Amino acid sequence: MEYIVLILSGILFATAIYNILQKQLLRIIIGTVLISHGAHLVILTMGKLKRGQPPILDESVTSYTDPLPQALILTSIVISFGITSLLLVLSYRTAKENNTDNMEEMRGESNE
Amino acid sequence: MSNLAILPIIIPMLSGIIVAFTNKNVKRTRILTKLFVIISLIVTSYVTYVVFTEGSIILETGDWVAPYGIIMVADELSIILILTTNIIAATAAFYAPHSLSLKQENHYFYTFFFLLITGVSGAFLTGDLFNLFVFFEVLLMASYALIVLGGERVQLRESIKYVLINLFSSMLFVTAVALLYGVVGTVNMAQIAERVAEVDQKGILTTIGVLLFFVFGTKAALFPLYYWLPRPYIVPNPVVSALFGALLTKVGIYSILRVFTLIFTHRPDITHEAFIWIAGLSMLFGVIGALSTNNIKLIIAYNIIPAIGFIIMGIGIFNKDALSGSIYYFVHDMIIKSALFLLVGVISYVAGTSDLRKMKGLIHYYPVLGWLLFISAFVLAGIPPFSGFIGKLLLLKGALSNDEVAITIIALLSSLLILYSVMKIFIRGFWGEKDATFSLTKKPAQGQIIPIVCLLAVSVFLGIGAEYVYPAIDGIAEYLLDPEIYIDSVLKE
Amino acid sequence: MLTAVLIPLIFAFFVPFISKYKQKVHTGVFVLIIPLGIFLYFIQFIGKDFAPFIHEYSWIPSLGINFDFYLDGLSLLFVLLISGIGTLVVLYSIFYLDTSEKLSHFYVYLLMFMSAMLGVILSDNVFVLYTFWELTSISSFLLIGYWHHRERSRYGAQKSMLITIFGGLSMLGGLIFLSVITNTTSIRAMINSMDEILNSNYLPLIMVLILLGAFTKSAQFPFHIWLPDAMEAPTPVSAYLHSATMVKAGIYLVARFSPIFHAYEWFFITVSLIGIVTLVWASYMAVRQTDLKAILAFSTVSQLGMIMAMLGFGTEAAVFAAVFHILNHATFKGSLFMIAGIIDHETGTRDIRKLGGLLTFMPMSATLALFGTFSMAGVPLPFLNGFYSKELFFESTTHLNITSNTFAATFADIIPYLAVFGSIFTFVYSMYFFFGVFMGQKKLDLLPKKPHEAPLGMLLSPIVLVLGVIIIGLFPNIVNGTLLTHAAKSINGNVDYHAIQFWHGLKPAFLMSLAVVGIGTILFLTIKKWRKIYSVIPGKLSFNELYDKTIDITDRYAKRITNFYMTGSLKLYMSIILGAIIAFSFLIMVTTDGFSHITFNDLADVEWIDITVIIVMALAAICTIFVNNKLSLIIITGIVGFGISILFVIFRAPDLALTQLVVETVSMALFLLAYYHLPELRKRNETITTSASNAILSLGIGTIITMVGIAAHSSDWFETISDYFVETAYSLGGGHNIVNVILVDMRGLDTLFEITVLGIAALAIYALIKVRKNKEAE
Repeated sequence: MEYIVLILSGILFATAIYNILQKQLLRIIIGTVLISHGAHLVILTMGKLKRGQPPILDESVTSYTDPLPQALILTSIVISFGITSLLLVLSYRTAKENNTDNMEEMRGESNE
Repeated sequence: MSNLAILPIIIPMLSGIIVAFTNKNVKRTRILTKLFVIISLIVTSYVTYVVFTEGSIILETGDWVAPYGIIMVADELSIILILTTNIIAATAAFYAPHSLSLKQENHYFYTFFFLLITGVSGAFLTGDLFNLFVFFEVLLMASYALIVLGGERVQLRESIKYVLINLFSSMLFVTAVALLYGVVGTVNMAQIAERVAEVDQKGILTTIGVLLFFVFGTKAALFPLYYWLPRPYIVPNPVVSALFGALLTKVGIYSILRVFTLIFTHRPDITHEAFIWIAGLSMLFGVIGALSTNNIKLIIAYNIIPAIGFIIMGIGIFNKDALSGSIYYFVHDMIIKSALFLLVGVISYVAGTSDLRKMKGLIHYYPVLGWLLFISAFVLAGIPPFSGFIGKLLLLKGALSNDEVAITIIALLSSLLILYSVMKIFIRGFWGEKDATFSLTKKPAQGQIIPIVCLLAVSVFLGIGAEYVYPAIDGIAEYLLDPEIYIDSVLKE
Repeated sequence: MLTAVLIPLIFAFFVPFISKYKQKVHTGVFVLIIPLGIFLYFIQFIGKDFAPFIHEYSWIPSLGINFDFYLDGLSLLFVLLISGIGTLVVLYSIFYLDTSEKLSHFYVYLLMFMSAMLGVILSDNVFVLYTFWELTSISSFLLIGYWHHRERSRYGAQKSMLITIFGGLSMLGGLIFLSVITNTTSIRAMINSMDEILNSNYLPLIMVLILLGAFTKSAQFPFHIWLPDAMEAPTPVSAYLHSATMVKAGIYLVARFSPIFHAYEWFFITVSLIGIVTLVWASYMAVRQTDLKAILAFSTVSQLGMIMAMLGFGTEAAVFAAVFHILNHATFKGSLFMIAGIIDHETGTRDIRKLGGLLTFMPMSATLALFGTFSMAGVPLPFLNGFYSKELFFESTTHLNITSNTFAATFADIIPYLAVFGSIFTFVYSMYFFFGVFMGQKKLDLLPKKPHEAPLGMLLSPIVLVLGVIIIGLFPNIVNGTLLTHAAKSINGNVDYHAIQFWHGLKPAFLMSLAVVGIGTILFLTIKKWRKIYSVIPGKLSFNELYDKTIDITDRYAKRITNFYMTGSLKLYMSIILGAIIAFSFLIMVTTDGFSHITFNDLADVEWIDITVIIVMALAAICTIFVNNKLSLIIITGIVGFGISILFVIFRAPDLALTQLVVETVSMALFLLAYYHLPELRKRNETITTSASNAILSLGIGTIITMVGIAAHSSDWFETISDYFVETAYSLGGGHNIVNVILVDMRGLDTLFEITVLGIAALAIYALIKVRKNKEAE
C-alpha cells in the first residue's frame, strides 16, 4: 500500500511540476495545489499506513496510527491554504496590472 | 531563565500585532515601531550577554522534554545572528519613514516588518526541523507581503515569480522533512543528528540531506539556484531590499550551516566537497552578474551571490579557521549588505534614476553619500582594516591549510571584481564634471544617512575591533565542529 | 614608532578644519611639519653602529595581527626617503597648488598615503603590511583621480586601482600561504623557518603570488601600463608616489622576502628576467613619448626594472648597488619631476614638441635639470650620484655565479648585453629630455603662456634634491657605511662595507659605461632618422590595448553571459533549479548506494477501494495537464483534493480528512471566484522539445520523490518518537485526541505560527485589494 501511495505522490509531483512549467498563471497555481497534495501524502506515508486505530485515545484500543505526521500535515495544510489564497489574489492583480496572464510575457526588461 | 530564549521571537511578534492596530495613525505607529525595535535590541543584547557568559539557553516549549516537544536553542551562533538581525532591524526602522510612501506605511508595512523579524529570529533559534519550516513560512509570507507593498506593475510581476519559486522550495522542504522522519523517526534536530550518526549517514540519508541542501540553497541563492534572486530584490522599496538582502538569503545559508555541521557531517567527501565547487561557481557567476549591469541596485543585488559563496566555502572546507571565517563573513555581510541597499536607495532617490549611465559628478552635490559608498565598496570587497577582511582572511587560511588552492584564487579574484563592480558606481556616478542640468530638489534626510553611518560603524568596529569579536567567533567554530555539544545540551544526556 | 606611522593619519582628520583658513595660510604649511618631524625622528638612527630593533603593539593578537614595527637598515632607508621626499614634496606643493583647489582633499590623501607607506615599510607583520599596502593603493587611486572631472584622470585612477589591487590580493594569497606553512605572521620568523617554505610543494605558486604583488606595485613589465596613466595626478604626487616611494614598495617587498627566496633559482630567473625586460622595454619606450611626465614615467619604470633585476641577482655587489640606486633614483627623479611640473606651471604645456630653448627664460631650472638628467643617464662625472650606482650595476651583471641550471646560466651570460642596451636608451631619453626642453629652437608661439623662471619657493625642493645628487656624488661614502651597508645587509647578510670609489681601474663595467655614452650620443644625434622604428616595434601592439580590451571584454561578456540566463522567465529559472535537483539527487543516490535496501516486508494491505480512489486521483492529476477549459481544470483539481480527504479517512486520519474537506471546499470557492477574473485557458502551443523537456523534468522530480520515499520507508533502523505522544497525550496533555494534543500542546508553537502565517496572508490580501481600490479611486 505505502509504495502505491508513494507512486501516487510521485504522479502528483510530476503533474504539478508540468503545470508549473506552463505559461498561464491559472495552470501554474493548479500546479502548486497539486504539489502540496503530493507533499502531504508523503508525510502521511512516512508514518506508515493503516497501523492501528485512529489516534484518538480509547480504553479498548492498544495500537494507534502514528499521530505526529498527522499533526504536521494539519499545520502544513493550513499554511498551504494561506499561500494559495494569497497567490490567487496576487495572480489576479498581476494579470490585471500587466494585462496578461502569460508568465512568458512578464519577463521584464533585459538585464540593464 | 530559559524563557529568555523565546523573547527575540515574542517581542517582534507582539510588536507586529500592536502596530497593526495603530494603523490609522502613522505618527503613532512610527514612534511605537522605533520604541519596539530598541526594546528588542536591548533585550537581545541582554540575552546575548547571558548566552556568552552562562552558555546556551535551551527552552523546552510547554515543558515538553526534548526530543518530543519543540525546542528553542539559543546558542552562541543563533544569538549572534539574532543580535545582528536586530541591529539591522533597528536601522531599517529608523530609515523607513523617510523612504516609504504614506500609503505603504498605511498598508501594514510595520506589521509585516516585525513579523519578518519574528520569522527570521525563529528560524535562527529553533531546534526542530519542522518548526524551522513553519518559521520559514512566517518570514516568507511576510516577505511576500512586503515585496508587493505598493502594488506597482513590476513589483507584482517580479513578486509572483518570487512567490512561486519559494512555494516550490517550501513544498520540497516539508517533503524532505517527512522523508527524514520516515528514516530516523524524529524531527528534533539534535536527535536527528544523533541517529544519523548512529547509522553513519547511510546513502538514503545523504540523499535526503542533498534535497534539504537544495531547499536551503534556493533560499540562500546559491549557484545554480540563484536565478530568481536579483530582480525581485530590487523592485520593492530600499528598506525592503535591505531587509531581504541582509536577512532572507542568510536564513537559507544559516540552515545549511546548521544542518551540515550538526546532522549531515559524515560524508564530507560528497557533500562538503561539492560545497566548495558551488562556492566557487557562486562567486564567479555572482560577480559576472554584478559586472553586467548599469543598474546600481542590481549591482548590489548580484553581490549577494558571491557573498553567499564565501560563506558556503567555509562550510565546505570545514575546519576551524574556515568555519570561523564563514561566521565572521556572515555577520559582516548582513551588516554591509543592508547598508549598501539603503545607500543605493538614497543614491537613486537623489539622482532620480538607478541607471549608472545617467549619473555623473554626484560628489559635487552629495559628498557624504559618495564617501559612504567609497568606504562601503572597500568593506564589501574585504579590504582591511574593515570587517570583510577578517572573515576573508580566516576563510583563506582555512582553505590553504586544506590545500584548496583553486578556490583561494577564485575567492581573491572575485574580491577584486566585487570591488570593481561597486567602485564603478563611485567612479562613474560620483566622479566627473558637475552636471549643470541637475536639479537639486531632492535632499537625503538625516534620518536616511544616520542609519547607514551606524551600520558602517558596526562594520568598521568588526574589522578594527576584531580582537573583541574574534575569540567569540572562534569559540563558535569550535563548538560547531563538535556536534556532540549541541546534542548533549539539547537531549541532556 | 606607532606614533610616527599613525600621526599623518590622525593629522589628516584635522586637515579639513585647517583648510578653512586656506585663503590666509596655505594648508600645506601646516602639513609640512608632519613629514619633517618624522624625518628628524628617524635620522637620529643613522650611523655606523646602527642596530635593528623592534617595537611591538598588539592589535588583534588572537589572529596574530599586531603592529610590530621593525626598523632595520632597509626600512630605515625607506623611511627616510618617505619622510624626506615627503617634506620636499609638501613644500613644493605649497607653491604648485593654488588655494582655489580643494586643498583639504589633496593633503588628506597625501597624509593617508604617508601613513600607509610608513606602515608598509615598518611592519614586520605580514597582514598589517598588507593592510597598509592596500591603503597605499587606495590613496594613490584618490590622488590620481584628484582632478576627476577629467576623463583621463578617471581612466588612470581606475586602471591603477585595478592593477595594484589585483596585485595586492594576489600578494595576500601568498602571504596567507606563507603564514599557514610557517605558522607565524612575522616576516622575521618566516625567514627563520625558511626551510619549511623552501620544501613546500607550493613554493612556485607562493613565489608567483608574492611577486605579482611586487611587480604590479612597482610597475614591472607587463603591468607597467598603469604608471604612465597615473601621471594624470598633480605633479607633486607623481614625484612622490609614482617615482620616489610607492612604486618602490614592490622593490621593498622583493628585498624583504629575498632572504627566503634567494636560495630558489627560479626566483633569480623570474625577478632578473622581469627586471631586465622592464629596463629595456621601458627605456626604449621612453624615447617615443612626447609628454614630459610620460617620459619620466617610462624612465621610472625602467629604473625600477633595473633595481628589480639587481635584487634578482642577489649577489652582495648587486644588492648593495640596488639600495644605492634606490636612494639615487629618488634624488634625481624627484628633482626632474618637480622641474617638469615647473615647466608645466610656467609654460602651460608638457608637450616636448612645443617646448625648446627655455634655457634663456629659465636658467635656474635648466641647471637643475642638467644635473638631474646627466645623473640619470649615468654620465661618468664625479659629482653625479647616478653614475656610481649604474657602474655598480654593470659590475654586478658581470659577476653572476650561476652554475646549477643551464637555462639560468645562459640567461646570466646575456644579462650584461641587455643591461647595456637598456642603458643606452636611458642615456638617449635623458638627453632628449634636457636638450628638447632647454636647448634648440624657441617655439614661443606654440606655448599657452609666456615662460619665465619659477618663484624661488617652487625651486627650493628641486634644489635640495640636486644638492643631494651632487653631495652623494662627491662624497658617496658618507651615506655608505652609515646607511647603505646596513640596508644591503638586511637583504643579504654577507654584505660588508666597501668604500665606493669613482675610479676603480679599467674594468668591464667602466667600458660598458663608455659604450653607453658613446653609442647613446650617436643615437641621440641621429634620433630623427631611426624614430620610425616605433611604428614597427611595438607598432599597434600595446599592453594598454590589451588592458582596455580585457576591461571591455569583461564588461561585454558579463553582460552577454548574464543576459543569456537571466531572462526573467520563470519557466527557465524553474527548469534550471529542477534540473540541478534531479541531476544531483540521482547522482548522490547512485554513488551512495541509497536505493539498494528496498524491502517489501513491512507494508499495509491493499484493498480495492484504496486502489480505485488512487487511480481516480492519478487520472485526474494527469488530466490537469491536458484540459483546456478553466472550469474543468478547477473541478478536476477539486477531485484530487477530495480524493486526498478520502485517503485520509482510509488511512485513519479523521482530523485531517475533516480539515482537508473544509480547506478544499473553501479553496474551490476561491478558485471559482478567481475563475471570473482570470482569462480562459489557451491551448498549449509548445514545440515538442519544450514538451519533452517539461516532461523529463516532471518525471524526474516525481521519480525522485517516489524512490526516496520508498527507500526511506524501507529503512527500519529507528523507532519513531510518536509512542511518547500516545502515552502522554492524556496523562500530561489532558486530551483524548492525540493529534489535537500534539497540535495545541507539544507542538503548540507550530500552531501559533501557522496562525501567524494565515494572519499575514489575510492582511496581505487585504492590503493588495485596498491598493487596488485606492488606485481605482485615483
